[in-house]
Amino acid sequence: MTPPRYDDIYKQVVALLQEYAPQPGPIREETELVNDLGFDSLKVMEMLNDVEDAFDITYPLNSLSDLKTVKDFTTQILNIIETS
Amino acid sequence: MGILDKLSAVADARKTLFPPGVDPLNVVIDEIYSATEASIGGHRVLLAGTNNYLGLTFDQHCIGAAQSSLEKEGTGTTGSRMANGTFAGHRDLEKDLANFYGCSNAIVFSTGFVANLGVISTLAGPGDVIVLDADSHASIYDACRMSGAEMIRFRHNNIEDLEKKLKRLGPKTEKTLIIVEGIYSMLGDCAPLAEVAALKKKYGAWLLVDEAHSLGVMGVHGRGMAEASGVEEDVDFIVGTFSKSLGAIGGYCVSNHPELDLVRYICRSYVFTASPSPSTIASVREALKAIQSKPELRTRLWDNAALLFHGLKELGFELGPDLSPIIAIRAPSREKTLFAWKALLDKGIYVNLVFPPAAPAGMSLLRCSISAAHTSEQISFLLQAFAEIKLLIDEQE
Repeated sequence: MTPPRYDDIYKQVVALLQEYAPQPGPIREETELVNDLGFDSLKVMEMLNDVEDAFDITYPLNSLSDLKTVKDFTTQILNIIETS
Repeated sequence: MGILDKLSAVADARKTLFPPGVDPLNVVIDEIYSATEASIGGHRVLLAGTNNYLGLTFDQHCIGAAQSSLEKEGTGTTGSRMANGTFAGHRDLEKDLANFYGCSNAIVFSTGFVANLGVISTLAGPGDVIVLDADSHASIYDACRMSGAEMIRFRHNNIEDLEKKLKRLGPKTEKTLIIVEGIYSMLGDCAPLAEVAALKKKYGAWLLVDEAHSLGVMGVHGRGMAEASGVEEDVDFIVGTFSKSLGAIGGYCVSNHPELDLVRYICRSYVFTASPSPSTIASVREALKAIQSKPELRTRLWDNAALLFHGLKELGFELGPDLSPIIAIRAPSREKTLFAWKALLDKGIYVNLVFPPAAPAGMSLLRCSISAAHTSEQISFLLQAFAEIKLLIDEQE
């Protein structure tokens, strides 16, 4: 199986964020989910269901405390895929 | 940035949500007359949002036991269970609970919230995994965070998702605690506990069930969802509260694992908080007797719940998926929910107003909880008021 690439995951993450972001806007690596895209806890939880399905992973809720930017999110997903 | 700045968002939300003079989240009951009636804002109202499932708050045996204890033992213990706060009654109640469930061990806590907080955060720790239902109570979420365990959420009542998550854990399932509730507090829907217990066995995990809303309500003997589902032997830990069907305040955990007794020594919410007052313990012991000796209360409760549930369905309201004593009406918007809640109060009916995040999936709810103490006339009065409210809501659309 081909190892996942950061860039591929990033593209999928951006697409999911665009779908769920309460405040749509340009999304870059440094974009913050809460401050820039207006995510609250409910919206994040809603999106996580789709993230788990899209990447066939389990996203531990503990990781949310380290999640600030799109880059953080992409890196977390990559790490989960690599370690599972 | 000062520490109080973050509260400005709360102030803004309150201003936006509630018109001046109306705060549904700070209702004051001026006077309480019975398990089903009170005075709010100078008006007599029918209470239909109290979790007083068996109507035992005014049970004469419970009141008598509490009064007698007050005279004999005073108003409070002024100490934690570990220090001077364990009276004979606390231990007697633990024996009563163990006997009631047919379990070897029971621990009494000061509230249901701290029972969850203490038990879960003590049982699970770093290196362990907790797999919890997404709609779990705040006390469960907080407990999971406190535990330091890996915290995994599965979709509400979704057995396929639970299995998927357990399967991915591999050998870690032997250090995995699954947590579900018997009846979920907001929508009143029931856990598919038989299937959850089967997965627990299949993957060699552990299972904790919060029976807060199902104690006294489910099961032939009132022991809750585990009894009703025929899986009591597969449940490792049951947590519950005295503040709903038992009509008082406090919490507990029962288990057949003898290690539960060791939790007393290291559980922070047991060690570092004052124990329940002796009069509370006395009334709970009587209420527990009533659950066992008065099955007719359960019958009346379910009859009342069915009457309201089906009546509201006929009126065209969108309700939770299962018939239970918690009947949640989904409203189309926050504004309409608030409007309906206020209109009901003006008609002399109190129900709970629930907004997200307390309500799941962004829903706004009018949450009714039914009691065995409600009369059929009171249920008719409720249905009549809801019919009038429906007309008002429909007119607005």
